Amino acid sequence: MIKPILLVEDDPRDLELTLVALERSQLANEVVVLRDGAQALEYLFREGEYASRDEGNPAVILLDLKLPKVNGLEVLEAVRKSATLRAIPVVMLTSSQEETDLVRSYELGVNAYVVKPVEFKMFVSAIADLGVFWAVLNEPPPGSLKASRIYE
Amino acid sequence: MLPAADITACDREPIRVPGAIQPHGYLLALDAEGLAVRFWSANWGDVSVAHAAMAGLDEPKLKSLTAGHSAVAVGGFELHGQALSAWAHRLDDVVIVEFESRAPKMPLEAPLYELARDFLPQLQGVSEVQPLLEIAARELKRLTGFGRCLIYRFDADGHGEVLAQAMDAGYESYAGHHFPAPDIPRQARDLYLANRFRLIPDASYQPVALLATDATTDAGSLDLSLAYLRSVSPVHLEYMRNMGTLASMSVSIVVDGKLWGLASCHNHEARFLVPEVRAACSHLGQLLSMLVEAKEANAEVESRLALRKITLELVAHLSDSDPTLRGLVSEPTLLLRMAHATGAAVVLDDRAWTAGETPDEERLLEIADWVSGMGRDVYDVDQLATVLPSFAAQTGAVAGLLALSISRVHRHVILWFRPEIVKTITWAGDPHKEMVADAAGRIHPRRSFESWVEQVVGRSRPWSTAEVNAVTELRQALIGIVLKRAEEVAAVASELSRVNKELEAFSYTVSHDLRAPMRHIAGYVDLVLESEGKLLSPRSNRYLGHVKDASAFAGQLVDALLDFSRMGRSALKLREVNGEEMVNSLIRELSRQDAARDITWKVEPGLPSMSADPVLLQVAARNLLANAVKYSRKQAAPVITIRPVAAEGFVGIEVEDNGVGFQMQYVGKLFGVFQRLHKAEDFEGTGIGLANVKRIVERHGGSVWARGEPGVGATFGFLLPQKSESIPANVAQP
Repeated sequence: MIKPILLVEDDPRDLELTLVALERSQLANEVVVLRDGAQALEYLFREGEYASRDEGNPAVILLDLKLPKVNGLEVLEAVRKSATLRAIPVVMLTSSQEETDLVRSYELGVNAYVVKPVEFKMFVSAIADLGVFWAVLNEPPPGSLKASRIYE
Repeated sequence: MLPAADITACDREPIRVPGAIQPHGYLLALDAEGLAVRFWSANWGDVSVAHAAMAGLDEPKLKSLTAGHSAVAVGGFELHGQALSAWAHRLDDVVIVEFESRAPKMPLEAPLYELARDFLPQLQGVSEVQPLLEIAARELKRLTGFGRCLIYRFDADGHGEVLAQAMDAGYESYAGHHFPAPDIPRQARDLYLANRFRLIPDASYQPVALLATDATTDAGSLDLSLAYLRSVSPVHLEYMRNMGTLASMSVSIVVDGKLWGLASCHNHEARFLVPEVRAACSHLGQLLSMLVEAKEANAEVESRLALRKITLELVAHLSDSDPTLRGLVSEPTLLLRMAHATGAAVVLDDRAWTAGETPDEERLLEIADWVSGMGRDVYDVDQLATVLPSFAAQTGAVAGLLALSISRVHRHVILWFRPEIVKTITWAGDPHKEMVADAAGRIHPRRSFESWVEQVVGRSRPWSTAEVNAVTELRQALIGIVLKRAEEVAAVASELSRVNKELEAFSYTVSHDLRAPMRHIAGYVDLVLESEGKLLSPRSNRYLGHVKDASAFAGQLVDALLDFSRMGRSALKLREVNGEEMVNSLIRELSRQDAARDITWKVEPGLPSMSADPVLLQVAARNLLANAVKYSRKQAAPVITIRPVAAEGFVGIEVEDNGVGFQMQYVGKLFGVFQRLHKAEDFEGTGIGLANVKRIVERHGGSVWARGEPGVGATFGFLLPQKSESIPANVAQP
């Protein structure tokens, strides 16, 4: 069974654009959409609303940096601290390349960092590249997880 | 130069223990406990007479003497039909009894009473030291009947200057004369402090030896410091005989525990003074000491008050108006008056501001350098050329220097100058006297008392303690002002940095939040064009194209703003950057991007090495070069010249092109954020590039400039401060 892609995004317009981009990259993975950080953590830890979901971790988490309730950095931190979740690749999505956010993400062990490009075509190709890399190639050996894709 | 009062041969004479007395009296030295005779003067004739003399003395009184007290009358004795009265004082465990002939007739009135009746009223209403001394000299002469009375004061070097004189005809005047310090040897000065009255009735006397009752004791061990009959140094007797005066008497004037001066009386002939007169002289000396002390203290307080008033005025002026130290010279009168100077200068690092008569700037900096090198807050010298020989030729206006060092870190110095006083000093004899030892090894003072005239050149009036104290106070006050100012600046700076942080946080938030809607507009228009574009009219397609371009451009602006805000926040990481390498690599990069164009690049030799953040400096240089490429686009044969520039303490680079140029009236707008001088259709861009250049250069402490002419070209450049010694670009770096 192919693992799902977990997309955590609060902005409805960004969400739709990201879904279009993922659709165009023609990945077979199911996309699970969550709208805030708290929801994401419940899903990942199979708690609350998601207590009864099937076992298994997503292939990759696409995580917006600015999220209501629990922000992207906090979700990332929780994932990296959990023994069962630690290996999931996390790609951080953000509106701008603010240095302190970026440094903090790397400190917390993000696998990739995407500054959403203004140009839609570039956005599509960025998402597609990431999807292919993380979802299809899947499960890269730990230690070679870091990569940076920054589009300006 | 005057000779300093150092140890000369005279300083080693054992004047306290001469082992002899003058012959106008008799001496017994007794054991303080048992009153056994230990020493006796040879003029008693025989030790039995000396013992017999004990009979007339008041034993209980002798036993009750306390060391350090003045001599008291203890009885008398009749020797060979001559009535003697006895006076005793105690020194350690010895009681010294001195006998002298009872005066044949007593004065009609006690001299002490006369002193109180006639002399004291004259002193009332005298407010200064000088008239006081003149009155005292006259009174002393009247009291003693000596031919000449001098009162002189010792200066810091120990030289005496005659300030007052009263004398009879036939005596040589010493008014205004100076006595060189060696005339009164150091141990004599010490003795003058301990025993404030001395009388030598006849300098031609033959000393009377002291004899010890115990053969094993040396009579030369008896301390006669306080003995009235003490035999004086043969050198001094010779000095007196040379001066033509056989009798001398002196009274010490002691101010603040120091020997301030002497009242000194001389008589051609031998002259004896009765005890009552001697007592009156001693009292006069004490009165004089107290009055001089009081008057000098008053004068000191007055001048200190006057100087403090000036200091306060200066400080008030400074804190009201000009906050920097150089504001001091805007009140030249006050600045000069506070040190009674004729010239003053404020030196701040490499610049000097002056008032009155001073050396030129180069010289001032030299002095300031030397003063700060000493590491002292206040320094004064009245003969600058002796400490700074290069100023030997400069004396005249700058013989004396008073310097105030405000900061130990910076060269912040205030200097005051005084002119040379060509002073004529009349010495009572050549102060550069030579001691000549005779065959027996005895030294003789000079035999000539002809006045010897010396001219002192290159020396100013010395700086008084009050003046030195006043400038020290000024220093405290100035430092107070400077510290207060620094606090204010620090407060402004911290407020500024807070506002800056807020502004940056704001611009970040704005950029960040603006970027999302731009992306959405561009993204959805793209989606519409892609999926429905074929169904729309060409006009609608064009409109949507505009929407897309506009949003993309807005996105670029937001990104540029974000970069600009980031530029101001990141910390500078300074390194040596090789200007030539940097420029050449940028030229390669730009040529690759625009390979179709044929640009002539002229890189002049000697591009400097700069101390800068390599990343930021490259951003700035890239902007200038890219602008030159962009604005020379319409030029058939574009030429871009890069050349080194330098100013004192600064190095930089200038980029010149032969492109469209600009009108100089807009030069002020060029470096502003989003300021553009060209239409967007002509030249693309966000208008933030030069703002970035300016921000980067200014963060390095440098400056930017631009020159241009429409249709001819433009030149942009920047200068960065040189940190330490920069390495020339053409020298290989390790």
